[in-house]
Amino acid sequence: MSETASARAATGRRTTRVSLDGLRKHFDNAPAPAISHLDLKTEEGEFISLLGPSGCGKTTTLRCVAGFEFPDEGRVRLNDEDITDLPPEKRDIGMVFQNYALFPHLTVWRNLAFGLEMRGIGKAECKRRIDDVLAMVQLTALAERYPRQLSGGQQQRVALARALVIEPRLLLLDEPLANLDAVLREDMRVFIRELQKRVGITTLYVTHDQSEAMVMSDRVAVMLGGKLLQFDVPEAIYMRPRSVEVARFIGRSNLIEGSVEGLTDEPGPYPTYRVSTALGSVPASHDQPLATGQPVHVTIRPEAIRFRNDGPYAGRVQSAYFLGSTVEHTVQCAGGQGLLVQTSPGRRMDAGAQAAFAFDPGHAWIIAAAP
Amino acid sequence: MSAVMTAEAPPRSSARRKARPGRGAFWLIAPALVLIGVFLVLPYLNIIAMSLRPTAVGAPYGAGFTLGNYAHALGDGYILGVLADTLVLGATTVPICLLLGYPVAYHLARTRSRWGSLLYVLVLSPLLVGVVVRSFGWLILLSGNGVINRVLIDLGLVETGLQLMNNRLGVTVALVHVFLPFMILPLVGVIQSIDPTLEQAARSLGASRFKVFWRLVLPMSWPGIQAGTVLVFVLTLSAYVTPVMLGGAQVKTMSVLVVQNLIDNFQWPTGAAQALVLSACGMVAVWVYARLTGRFMKGLQ
Repeated sequence: MSETASARAATGRRTTRVSLDGLRKHFDNAPAPAISHLDLKTEEGEFISLLGPSGCGKTTTLRCVAGFEFPDEGRVRLNDEDITDLPPEKRDIGMVFQNYALFPHLTVWRNLAFGLEMRGIGKAECKRRIDDVLAMVQLTALAERYPRQLSGGQQQRVALARALVIEPRLLLLDEPLANLDAVLREDMRVFIRELQKRVGITTLYVTHDQSEAMVMSDRVAVMLGGKLLQFDVPEAIYMRPRSVEVARFIGRSNLIEGSVEGLTDEPGPYPTYRVSTALGSVPASHDQPLATGQPVHVTIRPEAIRFRNDGPYAGRVQSAYFLGSTVEHTVQCAGGQGLLVQTSPGRRMDAGAQAAFAFDPGHAWIIAAAP
Repeated sequence: MSAVMTAEAPPRSSARRKARPGRGAFWLIAPALVLIGVFLVLPYLNIIAMSLRPTAVGAPYGAGFTLGNYAHALGDGYILGVLADTLVLGATTVPICLLLGYPVAYHLARTRSRWGSLLYVLVLSPLLVGVVVRSFGWLILLSGNGVINRVLIDLGLVETGLQLMNNRLGVTVALVHVFLPFMILPLVGVIQSIDPTLEQAARSLGASRFKVFWRLVLPMSWPGIQAGTVLVFVLTLSAYVTPVMLGGAQVKTMSVLVVQNLIDNFQWPTGAAQALVLSACGMVAVWVYARLTGRFMKGLQ
């Protein structure tokens, strides 16, 4: 049996579409709703990250799906089945908690058997499934240990195995890597993602770590203040933000105010407009039609700007910080506009120098919505 | 993938150094040591010595040493009966305290109500009143002409007053009341330390509320259950005022017997031996109990 086939046999590939319709949750004593009018639909087998700063409502959303919170308005559906009012034990959803929540009085084996016993699954079938899942998370040797005898990463994998062994319809992960050290965290990202692909289970993953969300997800849902700001593939979230908030939250970016001058006929995947800004007239792309004179923001990633002697824009380098693989410069431009510029160490400019720079219109993106 | 597995080290509990108490720490515990030495160890040694003396008339004890007091305590059917009664009293008070105390403790541990602290005070209230006053209160309630019997007779529910005290019932009721806080307090501490996300994890794995309690909360409460039951058991064995006031001539416990021998009969060696027999029985019972329940607490620290 191939590894993939055995993984599927171990967790019974069951794919599910999640759909959240107009979710709203307002806690007593809270000034604002934790989530409001949240719509989100996943495809089968997708890995979706809910990404946002703390207090953005991502964990509340996950808890509404798990059944630990009940929304004031809106419905939660799995494959068109409305589960909004079901208690957690009737939802058939596997969840991994930030602190792992392993049962301290039970061995690893008994932890995994817990969910199976609750389902009344026979001894032989229990053993087969637990053996399979333990092999999958590479913990077979530790089955008789108690949780406190395991390292953080091992506990993490037990928690994952315990959620998967019940063959749930959906897997929920609540910041599962937050308590691990940096090196292990990077390894576990890959581990979880590979495992999810092998099992093929639809997964909702809550994180405040944008690189985690970028690396692991099929699509990322960026949340802020209880609202879903943008839901798209990682590349689109990074390269084509829909709002100033998303551009600010994801990575570092230069946001330049301006107004649309008009459409150009420059070739590219998206139409290129010229935008009047403090830097002068700059080319930038957008996928929607824009009116002349419309106020917009242009976002340019620091690594998309290059120092070039024949560059059309000019400014004075105010500082240059060596970060290892890159150097980060702050540049003060003629119109008073400050810019972040990231270059390779070989192309660094010294503080105080006059610099000319350029960027590719494909890397300058217009944000139409007013901030 | 295998890099993930090899990069991790096993938990290094052995490498964690335990803080060693220095000289300063010794001086901090010195007063407690002196207190224990003067008021516990010395009297105990004195009682042991006393129990090995022969009884005398007109003096606390006679000359020489003897094991006769122990032979008497362990050979006399009446004394063994009292000892058995005392142990039975402990064995009934403990489960009643546990059954009554656990729900209260669970509620206290998990409530977020502002009335939580008031409830705490109510739980502690039996301790705020002296044991004599508390027992006297029960006397007023339970006596043949007491509040409960009056109400029952006035309502026409009974013809003559019920025998509510001067028997095992009255003593048990009063003891449960008095010792309930000692069951509840350790339970609250332990239940509070059970992470609520564990209960959520169990729910998400398919456990109903009842199963969560039965398979998770109750087993994890064992350290508190053990502490509470041992406390209440030991306190019941040594209870004196309550059995004397509410037990009358019907219920005689070992402590009552011991005090009788020491004060009424002036037979100090006899009383000392009986007190030590009671202590030994209590210790053995607690030890056996701790051994039996210890295996429920594997994995819990």
